[in-house]
Amino acid sequence: MISIEARLARMALRGDQEAFAEIVGLYQEKLYHMAYRMLSNRQEAEDVVQDTFLRVYNNLDRYDETMKFSTWIYRIATNLCIDRLRKRKPSYSLDAESSDHEGLDGYSMIPSDDRTPESETLLSETQRIIHQAMDTLPAKYKSVMVLRYLQELSLQEIGDVLGMPVTTVKTRVHRGREFLRKKLERVL
Amino acid sequence: MECKVAILWMHEYLDDDLPRDDVIQLKEHLLSCPECRMRFEQLKRTEAFAQAAITERITIPVAASAGRSAVSSASLTNRIMQKLPQQRRKQGWMRFVRNHPAVTVAAVFVFVMMTSFLAMWGQSSELIVSGSDLQHVVIDGDTVIVPAGVQVNGDLTVENGRADIRGEVQGNLTVIDGSLQLASTAKIVGENREINQALDWLWFKVTKTVSGLAY
Ligand SMILES: [Zn+2]
Repeated sequence: MISIEARLARMALRGDQEAFAEIVGLYQEKLYHMAYRMLSNRQEAEDVVQDTFLRVYNNLDRYDETMKFSTWIYRIATNLCIDRLRKRKPSYSLDAESSDHEGLDGYSMIPSDDRTPESETLLSETQRIIHQAMDTLPAKYKSVMVLRYLQELSLQEIGDVLGMPVTTVKTRVHRGREFLRKKLERVL
Repeated sequence: MECKVAILWMHEYLDDDLPRDDVIQLKEHLLSCPECRMRFEQLKRTEAFAQAAITERITIPVAASAGRSAVSSASLTNRIMQKLPQQRRKQGWMRFVRNHPAVTVAAVFVFVMMTSFLAMWGQSSELIVSGSDLQHVVIDGDTVIVPAGVQVNGDLTVENGRADIRGEVQGNLTVIDGSLQLASTAKIVGENREINQALDWLWFKVTKTVSGLAY
Protein backbone atom coordinates (compact mmCIF):
# COMPACT_ATOMS: atom_id res chain seq x y z
CA MET A 1 0.00 0.00 0.00
CA ILE A 2 1.63 3.23 -1.09
CA SER A 3 0.58 6.75 -0.21
CA ILE A 4 -1.42 9.00 -2.49
CA GLU A 5 1.60 11.24 -2.90
CA ALA A 6 3.84 8.32 -3.84
CA ARG A 7 1.31 7.22 -6.43
CA LEU A 8 1.07 10.76 -7.81
CA ALA A 9 4.85 10.95 -7.85
CA ARG A 10 5.03 7.78 -9.94
CA MET A 11 2.48 9.17 -12.37
CA ALA A 12 4.32 12.47 -12.59
CA LEU A 13 7.55 10.59 -13.25
CA ARG A 14 5.89 8.99 -16.24
CA GLY A 15 5.13 12.46 -17.55
CA ASP A 16 1.68 13.05 -16.11
CA GLN A 17 1.57 16.79 -15.47
CA GLU A 18 -1.86 16.65 -13.88
CA ALA A 19 -0.52 14.32 -11.23
CA PHE A 20 2.25 16.74 -10.41
CA ALA A 21 -0.24 19.59 -10.23
CA GLU A 22 -2.09 17.51 -7.62
CA ILE A 23 1.06 17.29 -5.54
CA VAL A 24 1.52 21.04 -5.86
CA GLY A 25 -2.08 21.54 -4.77
CA LEU A 26 -1.60 19.33 -1.73
CA TYR A 27 1.52 21.06 -0.47
CA GLN A 28 1.80 24.61 -1.75
CA GLU A 29 -0.10 26.21 1.11
CA LYS A 30 1.72 24.30 3.81
CA LEU A 31 5.04 25.09 2.20
CA TYR A 32 4.16 28.72 1.70
CA HIS A 33 3.20 29.16 5.34
CA MET A 34 6.31 27.41 6.46
CA ALA A 35 8.58 29.45 4.19
CA TYR A 36 6.85 32.65 5.20
CA ARG A 37 7.32 31.92 8.89
CA MET A 38 10.93 31.09 8.31
CA LEU A 39 11.74 34.06 6.09
CA SER A 40 9.15 36.73 7.02
CA ASN A 41 8.98 37.77 3.43
CA ARG A 42 6.26 36.95 0.97
CA GLN A 43 8.28 37.12 -2.20
CA GLU A 44 11.03 34.96 -0.78
CA ALA A 45 8.46 32.53 0.58
CA GLU A 46 6.92 32.19 -2.84
CA ASP A 47 10.34 31.73 -4.42
CA VAL A 48 11.12 28.96 -1.96
CA VAL A 49 7.82 27.24 -2.73
CA GLN A 50 8.59 27.36 -6.45
CA ASP A 51 12.15 26.16 -5.96
CA THR A 52 10.95 23.34 -3.75
CA PHE A 53 8.52 22.03 -6.34
CA LEU A 54 11.11 22.39 -9.06
CA ARG A 55 13.53 20.29 -7.05
CA VAL A 56 10.87 17.75 -6.24
CA TYR A 57 10.00 17.52 -9.92
CA ASN A 58 13.60 17.09 -11.02
CA ASN A 59 14.29 14.49 -8.36
CA LEU A 60 11.11 12.44 -8.48
CA ASP A 61 13.11 9.41 -9.56
CA ARG A 62 15.15 9.67 -6.39
CA TYR A 63 12.17 9.78 -4.06
CA ASP A 64 12.44 6.87 -1.65
CA GLU A 65 8.94 5.51 -1.10
CA THR A 66 9.84 4.15 2.31
CA MET A 67 10.03 7.76 3.47
CA LYS A 68 6.87 9.79 3.99
CA PHE A 69 6.43 12.15 1.08
CA SER A 70 5.76 15.04 3.47
CA THR A 71 9.07 14.37 5.22
CA TRP A 72 10.85 14.54 1.91
CA ILE A 73 9.21 17.73 0.68
CA TYR A 74 9.58 19.50 4.04
CA ARG A 75 13.24 18.55 4.07
CA ILE A 76 13.76 20.18 0.69
CA ALA A 77 11.80 23.29 1.63
CA THR A 78 13.43 23.64 5.06
CA ASN A 79 16.89 23.37 3.56
CA LEU A 80 16.06 26.04 1.00
CA CYS A 81 14.81 28.35 3.76
CA ILE A 82 17.86 27.75 5.92
CA ASP A 83 20.13 28.44 2.94
CA ARG A 84 18.41 31.74 2.36
CA LEU A 85 18.61 32.72 6.02
CA ARG A 86 22.33 31.94 6.03
CA LYS A 87 22.95 34.04 2.94
CA ARG A 88 21.26 37.07 4.45
CA LYS A 89 23.34 39.86 5.81
CA PRO A 90 23.24 39.83 9.60
CA SER A 91 21.43 43.18 9.68
CA TYR A 92 18.66 41.96 7.44
CA SER A 93 16.76 40.03 10.08
CA LEU A 94 16.63 43.10 12.31
CA ASP A 95 15.00 45.13 9.57
CA ALA A 96 12.78 42.39 8.32
CA GLU A 97 9.88 43.11 10.60
CA SER A 98 9.39 46.56 9.15
CA SER A 99 9.19 45.20 5.62
CA ASP A 100 6.54 42.63 5.92
CA HIS A 101 4.59 42.44 9.12
CA GLU A 102 2.12 45.11 8.39
CA GLY A 103 -0.91 44.11 6.39
CA LEU A 104 -3.63 41.60 6.94
CA ASP A 105 -1.84 39.21 9.19
CA GLY A 106 -0.86 41.82 11.74
CA TYR A 107 -4.11 41.67 13.66
CA SER A 108 -5.28 38.16 13.22
CA MET A 109 -4.39 36.97 16.71
CA ILE A 110 -7.60 38.36 18.17
CA PRO A 111 -11.10 37.97 16.82
CA SER A 112 -12.14 41.04 14.85
CA ASP A 113 -15.01 41.76 17.31
CA ASP A 114 -12.54 42.52 20.06
CA ARG A 115 -10.66 45.09 18.07
CA THR A 116 -10.76 48.61 19.30
CA PRO A 117 -8.27 51.25 18.26
CA GLU A 118 -6.58 50.97 21.67
CA SER A 119 -6.34 47.18 21.67
CA GLU A 120 -5.00 47.28 18.15
CA THR A 121 -2.26 49.66 19.09
CA LEU A 122 -1.42 47.63 22.15
CA LEU A 123 -1.58 44.36 20.33
CA SER A 124 0.40 45.50 17.37
CA GLU A 125 3.16 46.71 19.69
CA THR A 126 3.26 43.31 21.42
CA GLN A 127 3.10 41.59 18.08
CA ARG A 128 5.83 43.74 16.69
CA ILE A 129 8.06 42.58 19.55
CA ILE A 130 7.05 38.97 19.02
CA HIS A 131 7.73 39.13 15.31
CA GLN A 132 11.02 40.83 15.95
CA ALA A 133 11.94 38.08 18.39
CA MET A 134 10.90 35.45 15.86
CA ASP A 135 13.00 37.13 13.19
CA THR A 136 16.11 37.06 15.31
CA LEU A 137 15.57 33.43 16.25
CA PRO A 138 18.49 31.48 14.72
CA ALA A 139 17.51 29.31 11.77
CA LYS A 140 18.27 26.05 13.53
CA TYR A 141 15.75 26.82 16.26
CA LYS A 142 13.27 28.42 13.93
CA SER A 143 13.08 25.48 11.55
CA VAL A 144 12.31 23.16 14.45
CA MET A 145 9.60 25.47 15.82
CA VAL A 146 7.98 26.07 12.45
CA LEU A 147 7.83 22.36 11.70
CA ARG A 148 6.41 21.70 15.14
CA TYR A 149 3.71 24.36 15.30
CA LEU A 150 2.85 24.97 11.70
CA GLN A 151 3.12 21.48 10.26
CA GLU A 152 2.29 19.87 13.58
CA LEU A 153 5.01 17.29 13.15
CA SER A 154 6.07 15.09 16.02
CA LEU A 155 9.58 15.49 17.36
CA GLN A 156 10.48 12.20 15.68
CA GLU A 157 9.18 13.46 12.32
CA ILE A 158 11.09 16.71 12.71
CA GLY A 159 14.19 14.62 13.31
CA ASP A 160 13.48 12.76 10.07
CA VAL A 161 12.99 15.98 8.12
CA LEU A 162 16.13 17.61 9.45
CA GLY A 163 18.14 14.41 9.50
CA MET A 164 19.05 14.55 13.17
CA PRO A 165 18.30 12.53 16.31
CA VAL A 166 15.23 13.35 18.40
CA THR A 167 17.44 14.37 21.30
CA THR A 168 18.96 17.12 19.14
CA VAL A 169 15.51 18.26 18.06
CA LYS A 170 14.48 18.46 21.71
CA THR A 171 17.53 20.44 22.66
CA ARG A 172 16.77 22.89 19.88
CA VAL A 173 13.16 23.27 20.96
CA HIS A 174 14.30 24.03 24.50
CA ARG A 175 17.02 26.46 23.46
CA GLY A 176 14.74 28.19 21.00
CA ARG A 177 12.14 28.61 23.69
CA GLU A 178 14.69 30.09 26.08
CA PHE A 179 15.99 32.37 23.34
CA LEU A 180 12.50 33.73 22.74
CA ARG A 181 11.75 34.01 26.45
CA LYS A 182 14.73 36.31 26.91
CA LYS A 183 13.78 38.39 23.87
CA LEU A 184 10.19 38.68 25.05
CA GLU A 185 10.93 39.28 28.71
CA ARG A 186 9.51 42.80 28.75
CA VAL A 187 6.13 41.76 27.35
CA LEU A 188 5.74 38.49 29.22
CA MET B 1 14.47 19.28 43.48
CA GLU B 2 17.14 21.49 42.01
CA CYS B 3 15.96 24.49 39.99
CA LYS B 4 18.15 23.29 37.08
CA VAL B 5 16.23 20.03 36.91
CA ALA B 6 12.96 21.88 37.32
CA ILE B 7 13.70 24.06 34.28
CA LEU B 8 14.51 21.03 32.17
CA TRP B 9 11.25 19.44 33.27
CA MET B 10 9.33 22.61 32.42
CA HIS B 11 10.50 22.22 28.84
CA GLU B 12 9.63 18.54 28.86
CA TYR B 13 6.22 19.49 30.17
CA LEU B 14 5.72 22.00 27.36
CA ASP B 15 6.85 19.34 24.89
CA ASP B 16 4.11 17.11 26.28
CA ASP B 17 6.80 14.65 27.23
CA LEU B 18 6.90 14.79 31.01
CA PRO B 19 5.64 11.62 32.74
CA ARG B 20 2.69 12.09 35.06
CA ASP B 21 4.65 11.35 38.24
CA ASP B 22 7.22 13.94 37.31
CA VAL B 23 4.51 16.49 36.65
CA ILE B 24 3.42 16.13 40.26
CA GLN B 25 6.98 16.60 41.47
CA LEU B 26 7.42 19.65 39.24
CA LYS B 27 4.23 21.19 40.63
CA GLU B 28 5.46 20.65 44.16
CA HIS B 29 8.67 22.46 43.34
CA LEU B 30 6.84 25.32 41.69
CA LEU B 31 4.69 25.80 44.79
CA SER B 32 7.79 26.17 46.91
CA CYS B 33 9.99 28.16 44.49
CA PRO B 34 8.77 31.62 43.30
CA GLU B 35 11.63 32.00 40.83
CA CYS B 36 10.80 28.80 39.03
CA ARG B 37 7.13 29.70 39.16
CA MET B 38 7.87 32.94 37.33
CA ARG B 39 10.12 31.15 34.85
CA PHE B 40 7.40 28.62 34.16
CA GLU B 41 4.83 31.37 33.54
CA GLN B 42 7.20 33.08 31.13
CA LEU B 43 7.93 29.88 29.26
CA LYS B 44 4.24 29.05 28.93
CA ARG B 45 3.54 32.50 27.50
CA THR B 46 6.54 32.33 25.21
CA GLU B 47 5.23 29.03 23.95
CA ALA B 48 1.77 30.51 23.38
CA PHE B 49 3.15 33.61 21.64
CA ALA B 50 5.50 31.64 19.44
CA GLN B 51 2.77 29.24 18.47
CA ALA B 52 0.37 32.10 17.72
CA ALA B 53 2.97 33.97 15.68
CA ILE B 54 3.83 30.91 13.68
CA THR B 55 0.30 29.70 13.07
CA GLU B 56 -1.27 33.10 12.38
CA ARG B 57 -3.37 32.75 9.32
CA ILE B 58 -1.91 34.20 6.20
CA THR B 59 -3.36 34.07 2.75
CA ILE B 60 -1.38 32.97 -0.21
CA PRO B 61 0.27 35.44 -1.69
CA VAL B 62 -1.95 38.19 -0.49
CA ALA B 63 -1.79 41.79 -1.58
CA ALA B 64 1.18 42.74 0.52
CA SER B 65 3.23 45.05 -1.58
CA ALA B 66 2.17 47.63 -4.11
CA GLY B 67 1.83 46.43 -7.65
CA ARG B 68 0.73 42.96 -6.75
CA SER B 69 -2.92 42.20 -6.59
CA ALA B 70 -4.37 39.38 -4.54
CA VAL B 71 -3.63 36.12 -6.23
CA SER B 72 -5.26 32.87 -5.45
CA SER B 73 -3.40 29.72 -4.64
CA ALA B 74 -4.70 28.28 -7.91
CA SER B 75 -2.61 30.76 -9.83
CA LEU B 76 0.40 29.92 -7.69
CA THR B 77 -0.10 26.35 -8.88
CA ASN B 78 -0.15 27.62 -12.44
CA ARG B 79 3.00 29.63 -11.94
CA ILE B 80 4.73 26.60 -10.49
CA MET B 81 3.56 24.32 -13.27
CA GLN B 82 4.79 26.78 -15.88
CA LYS B 83 8.22 26.89 -14.31
CA LEU B 84 8.72 23.16 -14.64
CA PRO B 85 11.22 22.05 -17.25
CA GLN B 86 9.48 21.17 -20.49
CA GLN B 87 11.64 18.29 -21.66
CA ARG B 88 10.23 15.57 -19.46
CA ARG B 89 6.62 15.67 -20.31
CA LYS B 90 5.56 12.45 -21.94
CA GLN B 91 9.01 10.95 -21.88
CA GLY B 92 9.17 9.11 -18.61
CA TRP B 93 10.18 5.97 -20.46
CA MET B 94 13.09 7.74 -22.13
CA ARG B 95 14.69 8.04 -18.72
CA PHE B 96 14.44 4.27 -18.35
CA VAL B 97 15.96 3.81 -21.77
CA ARG B 98 18.85 6.09 -20.85
CA ASN B 99 19.45 4.23 -17.63
CA HIS B 100 19.06 0.72 -19.00
CA PRO B 101 19.97 0.78 -22.70
CA ALA B 102 20.81 -2.91 -23.08
CA VAL B 103 17.79 -4.14 -21.19
CA THR B 104 15.56 -1.83 -23.16
CA VAL B 105 16.92 -2.88 -26.53
CA ALA B 106 16.54 -6.54 -25.60
CA ALA B 107 13.04 -5.98 -24.25
CA VAL B 108 11.90 -4.03 -27.27
CA PHE B 109 13.39 -6.62 -29.57
CA VAL B 110 11.70 -9.52 -27.78
CA PHE B 111 8.45 -7.60 -27.70
CA VAL B 112 8.52 -6.82 -31.40
CA MET B 113 9.52 -10.34 -32.28
CA MET B 114 6.93 -11.94 -30.06
CA THR B 115 4.10 -9.82 -31.37
CA SER B 116 5.00 -10.30 -34.99
CA PHE B 117 5.70 -13.95 -34.33
CA LEU B 118 2.36 -14.50 -32.67
CA ALA B 119 0.56 -12.56 -35.34
CA MET B 120 2.20 -14.54 -38.10
CA TRP B 121 1.89 -17.82 -36.28
CA GLY B 122 -1.80 -17.31 -35.72
CA GLN B 123 -2.69 -16.58 -39.31
CA SER B 124 -0.30 -18.92 -41.04
CA SER B 125 -2.58 -21.74 -41.97
CA GLU B 126 -2.59 -20.78 -45.63
CA LEU B 127 0.06 -21.64 -48.12
CA ILE B 128 2.64 -18.92 -48.45
CA VAL B 129 5.30 -18.93 -51.11
CA SER B 130 7.99 -16.35 -51.10
CA GLY B 131 11.11 -15.80 -53.10
CA SER B 132 12.72 -13.42 -55.48
CA ASP B 133 12.06 -15.39 -58.63
CA LEU B 134 8.69 -17.12 -58.68
CA GLN B 135 7.64 -16.78 -62.29
CA HIS B 136 8.32 -20.42 -63.23
CA VAL B 137 7.11 -21.90 -59.99
CA VAL B 138 3.88 -23.86 -60.30
CA ILE B 139 1.40 -23.93 -57.47
CA ASP B 140 -1.06 -26.81 -57.41
CA GLY B 141 -3.32 -26.81 -54.37
CA ASP B 142 -0.98 -26.79 -51.38
CA THR B 143 1.92 -28.04 -53.42
CA VAL B 144 4.62 -25.79 -54.77
CA ILE B 145 6.36 -27.29 -57.74
CA VAL B 146 9.62 -26.28 -59.29
CA PRO B 147 9.36 -28.18 -62.60
CA ALA B 148 12.27 -30.06 -64.04
CA GLY B 149 14.53 -27.87 -66.14
CA VAL B 150 13.34 -24.73 -64.34
CA GLN B 151 15.85 -22.58 -62.49
CA VAL B 152 14.75 -20.40 -59.57
CA ASN B 153 17.19 -17.54 -59.25
CA GLY B 154 17.33 -16.88 -55.56
CA ASP B 155 15.78 -18.15 -52.35
CA LEU B 156 12.54 -20.03 -52.13
CA THR B 157 10.45 -20.31 -49.01
CA VAL B 158 7.33 -22.43 -48.68
CA GLU B 159 5.10 -22.19 -45.63
CA ASN B 160 2.21 -24.53 -44.81
CA GLY B 161 2.57 -26.58 -47.92
CA ARG B 162 4.51 -29.19 -49.77
CA ALA B 163 7.50 -28.36 -51.84
CA ASP B 164 8.08 -30.57 -54.83
CA ILE B 165 11.43 -29.72 -56.30
CA ARG B 166 12.39 -31.17 -59.65
CA GLY B 167 14.43 -28.32 -61.04
CA GLU B 168 17.08 -26.02 -59.57
CA VAL B 169 16.98 -23.53 -56.70
CA GLN B 170 19.96 -21.21 -56.92
CA GLY B 171 19.53 -19.89 -53.38
CA ASN B 172 18.32 -21.34 -50.09
CA LEU B 173 15.28 -23.56 -49.89
CA THR B 174 13.25 -23.30 -46.70
CA VAL B 175 10.14 -25.30 -45.93
CA ILE B 176 8.12 -24.28 -42.90
CA ASP B 177 5.46 -26.56 -41.44
CA GLY B 178 5.30 -28.54 -44.55
CA SER B 179 7.04 -31.32 -46.38
CA LEU B 180 9.76 -31.46 -48.95
CA GLN B 181 10.07 -33.77 -51.86
CA LEU B 182 13.25 -33.70 -53.88
CA ALA B 183 13.32 -35.37 -57.27
CA SER B 184 16.54 -36.90 -58.58
CA THR B 185 16.83 -33.98 -60.97
CA ALA B 186 16.53 -31.44 -58.15
CA LYS B 187 19.43 -29.24 -57.29
CA ILE B 188 19.62 -26.89 -54.30
CA VAL B 189 22.59 -24.57 -54.53
CA GLY B 190 22.12 -22.89 -51.17
CA GLU B 191 21.02 -24.27 -47.85
CA ASN B 192 18.11 -26.65 -47.61
CA ARG B 193 16.13 -26.37 -44.39
CA GLU B 194 12.92 -27.77 -43.08
CA ILE B 195 11.36 -26.02 -40.11
CA ASN B 196 8.47 -27.59 -38.28
CA GLN B 197 8.64 -26.31 -34.76
CA ALA B 198 7.49 -22.97 -33.52
CA LEU B 199 10.82 -22.14 -31.89
CA ASP B 200 12.76 -23.03 -34.97
CA TRP B 201 10.45 -20.91 -36.96
CA LEU B 202 10.86 -18.03 -34.54
CA TRP B 203 14.61 -18.39 -34.77
CA PHE B 204 14.36 -18.37 -38.51
CA LYS B 205 12.34 -15.14 -38.38
CA VAL B 206 14.74 -13.59 -35.92
CA THR B 207 17.84 -14.34 -37.95
CA LYS B 208 16.10 -13.19 -41.08
CA THR B 209 15.11 -9.96 -39.38
CA VAL B 210 18.55 -9.43 -37.95
CA SER B 211 20.31 -10.06 -41.25
CA GLY B 212 17.68 -7.88 -42.85
CA LEU B 213 18.54 -5.13 -40.38
CA ALA B 214 22.21 -5.55 -41.04
CA TYR B 215 21.89 -4.71 -44.72
ZN1 LIG C 1 13.30 26.56 41.60
